[in-house]
Amino acid sequence: MEEKKSNLIVTIKKWHTVSSWTWGAGDDNCGICQMPLDGCAPECQFPGDDCPIVWGKCGHKFHLVCINTWIQRNINEPTCPMCREPWEFRDD
Amino acid sequence: MHKLFSLSKQNQTGGGKTGHRVSAGELRVQKDLDALELPPSTKIEYPDKDDILNFKIIMTPREGIYKDGTFTFTFQISTEYPHQVPKVHCDTKIFHPNIDTEGHICLNILREGWSPILTLNAVIFGLEFLFLEPNPDDPLNKEAAKLLKSDRYQFEQKAKRVMRGDNYY
Repeated sequence: MEEKKSNLIVTIKKWHTVSSWTWGAGDDNCGICQMPLDGCAPECQFPGDDCPIVWGKCGHKFHLVCINTWIQRNINEPTCPMCREPWEFRDD
Repeated sequence: MHKLFSLSKQNQTGGGKTGHRVSAGELRVQKDLDALELPPSTKIEYPDKDDILNFKIIMTPREGIYKDGTFTFTFQISTEYPHQVPKVHCDTKIFHPNIDTEGHICLNILREGWSPILTLNAVIFGLEFLFLEPNPDDPLNKEAAKLLKSDRYQFEQKAKRVMRGDNYY
């Protein structure tokens, strides 16, 4: 079928766009800082790329900045704060 | 969320007397305090109302050996909380296998068992548990542990005497 061309001229007066994003970690809070995982840890300025989240091989997730502080304090044998298993970053 | 937001906003505009930046530790403590569920037998007091990192927890156990005693604990929380374990000291003299005569407390979550996902609620539950279940197998006050193991009745009598203010050492 042939497409019919319209001669109608439309003026867009207003354009309202909304977008949303998520790390895909659900509505959970970070167990360490207790702020939403999609939000931002007190040390970060903005949610998003400024405050990424990471998963451990055990399946528990935290803000990167939060788990890093914990790991650095227990650098020899870092454990997951949630399950106390040895902490290893899950490679994605 | 709202409280925290207003707290940091107040701070930015120099609302605080000292004008210091609210630390991550203070934000987390504020969250813990907002979520605090104290039983009627437990009270919290702030010697300095502007300092949420230093407070006292006053407990009056309603059952067990230490029933009706009043015990004060001083909490000192670092700005690095929850990565740094809270410092808790027992200010009241007590005859207890897991609290020594200087007020040091042996509770796993206040030592190597600390984890940054724990909260002030968890610490207070831990203290309540110590009153209900003194543990003679991990003693800080060896005399108390020995007596609790060998003669529970004598132990209870002595614990009650110390609660009334008797010296025991």
